[in-house]
Amino acid sequence: MNRQIKILGIVIMLCYFAAFLKLNQIQVLQAGAYNDRPENTRAQLRDFNKPRGDIVTAEGEIAATSVVVRSELRYQRAYPEGELFAHVTGYYSFRLGSTGVERVYNAELTGRTPSLQLHELSGFFADQSSEGDVVLTLRGPVQRAARDALGGNNGSVVALDPRTGDIIAMYSNPTYDPNVISANQGEEAVAVKTLLDAAPSKPLLSRAYQERYFPGSTFKIVTAAAGLTSNKVTETTPDYPVVQSYTPPLTTRPIKNFDGNLCGGTLFVILQKSCNSSFAQMAAETLGPDPMIAAAEAAGFNDAPPIDLTRPAISVYPTNFGSLVSTPEGAAPVYEDTPALAQTGIGQNDVAATPLQMALVAAGVANKGRIMVPHVMSEIRARDGAVVGSYADSPWRDSMSPENAEILRRGMISVVTDGTASILALPGFDVGGKTGTAQLGLDPPQSHAWIIAFAGPAGQAPTIAVAVMVQGVDGASGSTGGRVAGPIAKQVLQAALMPG
Amino acid sequence: MTITESATHQQVVVKALGRRRRTTELGLLILAVLVICGTYALASLGKSASLPADIVPFLGVIVALPILAHLANRKFAPTSDPLFLPLAALLNGLGYVFIARLDGDLAGLQALWTAVGIFGYIATLIVVRDVRFLQRYRYTFGLIGVLLLIMPLLPGVGRSINGSRIWVSLGPIGFQPGELAKIALAIFFAGYLVDRRELLGVATFRIGRINTPDPKYFAPILVAVGFSLIVMVFEKDLGSALLFFVLFIVMLWVATGRGSYLAVGVLLFSASSYAAWRMFSHVQTRVTIWINPWSDPSGKGFQVIQGAYALAWGGTTGTGPGLGIAGRIPADESDFIFAVIGEELGLLGATAVLCAFLLLAGSGLRVAQRSSDPFSSLLAVGLTTLIAFQAFIIIAGVIRLLPLTGVTLPFVSYGGSSLVANYILLALLIRISDQTARKTPEPLVAR
Repeated sequence: MNRQIKILGIVIMLCYFAAFLKLNQIQVLQAGAYNDRPENTRAQLRDFNKPRGDIVTAEGEIAATSVVVRSELRYQRAYPEGELFAHVTGYYSFRLGSTGVERVYNAELTGRTPSLQLHELSGFFADQSSEGDVVLTLRGPVQRAARDALGGNNGSVVALDPRTGDIIAMYSNPTYDPNVISANQGEEAVAVKTLLDAAPSKPLLSRAYQERYFPGSTFKIVTAAAGLTSNKVTETTPDYPVVQSYTPPLTTRPIKNFDGNLCGGTLFVILQKSCNSSFAQMAAETLGPDPMIAAAEAAGFNDAPPIDLTRPAISVYPTNFGSLVSTPEGAAPVYEDTPALAQTGIGQNDVAATPLQMALVAAGVANKGRIMVPHVMSEIRARDGAVVGSYADSPWRDSMSPENAEILRRGMISVVTDGTASILALPGFDVGGKTGTAQLGLDPPQSHAWIIAFAGPAGQAPTIAVAVMVQGVDGASGSTGGRVAGPIAKQVLQAALMPG
Repeated sequence: MTITESATHQQVVVKALGRRRRTTELGLLILAVLVICGTYALASLGKSASLPADIVPFLGVIVALPILAHLANRKFAPTSDPLFLPLAALLNGLGYVFIARLDGDLAGLQALWTAVGIFGYIATLIVVRDVRFLQRYRYTFGLIGVLLLIMPLLPGVGRSINGSRIWVSLGPIGFQPGELAKIALAIFFAGYLVDRRELLGVATFRIGRINTPDPKYFAPILVAVGFSLIVMVFEKDLGSALLFFVLFIVMLWVATGRGSYLAVGVLLFSASSYAAWRMFSHVQTRVTIWINPWSDPSGKGFQVIQGAYALAWGGTTGTGPGLGIAGRIPADESDFIFAVIGEELGLLGATAVLCAFLLLAGSGLRVAQRSSDPFSSLLAVGLTTLIAFQAFIIIAGVIRLLPLTGVTLPFVSYGGSSLVANYILLALLIRISDQTARKTPEPLVAR
């Protein structure tokens, strides 16, 4: 029998060796693939059972933190300021996933980045864990000014530093309380989320960067940039006719100035008065499609801004105006859709922009034509306060040449000193702006009220660029934008430039 | 040297051997207890960041019970192999730590069952003073085995839990008689095969060109096996049916040395597996889930998938005891406890468990090989086969090497019947080992 017993021993050994090989396959070779499977929730479970870093404002105010709770999940996310930073921090829910900074900087908040782990190792004997705090570029007082100024209106405010791309404030109304959605006891959270998803006003979406609207007359800055860049428009030429309306080629429908006003002149004059007729004519006859498309895309249209937040919307400028119809002497070639092109010149038709995008247009003018990558993170800090990483500022777009940016900068300042944005004037500061009233309909008259602006100490480079959009306000006159959006922008500028 | 002198010399040698083996056993036991206590403390620290409050009763169970068994060995089986008890204590203790980590209430029950198991172990050592006692009552054991097997099917006492009708309730106590039946039938097979192995080993009967032993010699055993398999198919206990088949084939082949039994056995097994697959939907489900568990990830494949996720999550070194994500796998304290160990102790810990079983199997086979008595040898083979393959069947099921069939992981899983039965089985191996060493101590002393 001994021979059989020996063979049996070998067979048992082979069986166990096969099990050992299979274990290696599961636990080592394919472990990553198993961990990454979508229905495998172990990674989330782990994250919810570990401490998670805070999200703090530039001043150190806590926007999001983790509190210990006694339940299956050891930690619960809390947002002390409620809805104030909701659209930036996002929410962090076991049941419903995460958005915003919570999602984009998840690795930093949970301490899984190499730099944070290295830092933890260096403090090996100190009792500390590796999770990191995300320091935002947002400033609490400016964010609060934006919220208070917007009041009960639907709309949004974006303020950023044109030199770096730091987002200083970003608020959107209506909003939501991330505390409720992040609750670990999921039933209520799911119910609230379902309700918010179904709400027609879409409170979960940030109007600042996830929704787009007709930019209206604020887009005239892009049209002007297209004119300057193509050398067909200068400070003194052309001198557009003073008219009540302009009728593009191939159509009989006129594009009217607001309230039937007579409007026209050279670049600064038509910017100050926001002449629809002149900018429509500039787009359709002076420039044509190609310079317009080029300028819009140079400003960031038709591309998602590389902001460090989830799902930014792409601002849209049309790229197809049909086939060539004629090439008149001394004017831009005429295309089938030249009437539409004329409307895009004043930010209507198929042009749609996020408030963030329009703030970047103003920032480009303020920063010598260069648009920096917009971002909300400034630093990653370890728990002991050591800075383990900071955001490396980088340019995103060159929207125009520094010379042309200087012309437009003066042009926009003249809109504040002598034009529709006079409400923005702040003594001791150079403020430039452009209003916009994107008409939605005339019965009843409704429009999005816009204003974009930049400001800085007199004689120095601007330190802040702002876009304010108030959605669907009553009225559609030329002054609506300045009247409704102007005071909001002014309060935000004051909070940013004159703290205390 | 006179005969008396020789006998006295033998006694001295046996005594010395016994002392050395028991000292070794005690040392290994202390090592096992240290490992278990460390794991227990770590698991508690990992779970609640504090030392366990019940560390004293725990130490009582983990230290006192194996020491008790060790003392019983000193008294009743002094020259037995010193590896069995420490290995069993290690596996039992490790299982206890993970059961406690998963469910405190079950841990209390498991401690109780461990105590019952150890007393069963000691009682077996006392009752079975000589292996020939088992050989004498081989047919009685065969009958007991068959009765134990059918018990769950009897109306009134039989209970169906989780789709398998393998439980018996007598008053407040529920148990799985199948666990004890395996041992009884192993004893019966050993006795029967030793009686007939000469006849079974000789080909006297020709079917066509194939020589086979006369059918009448292995008809009773075929009947017993067929009967047991049918019962287990009706009880829907596929794991036990598979284990039983392996036990039968291995013992028949070891006893006779005829490869044709293996071939016929494998053929028979394949045919019956195919038939079962065609006939029973629960068998089809097992196979489908084995091939692709992701065809129903939240339903039938859930358990296997969660087991794989747990193992993958553990990686090479594991999450650490108490730091895994427990409570995700159905039956994680019994059939799937290996996945929990793999998650928290990693590939290293899982491999250690594999090694422990392999060492147990090796010790059992060594006893079988050293024994000059054919019955003892064959019984040791059968008992070793039971432990080694039961562990392999469930581990292979958890890691999807084989289709999952629910059996317990010996000594590790939660479950009173399994624990008590395995301790009795261990006692029998110890008895055979002790008796063998007494008869032929010389080669063992030489090392």
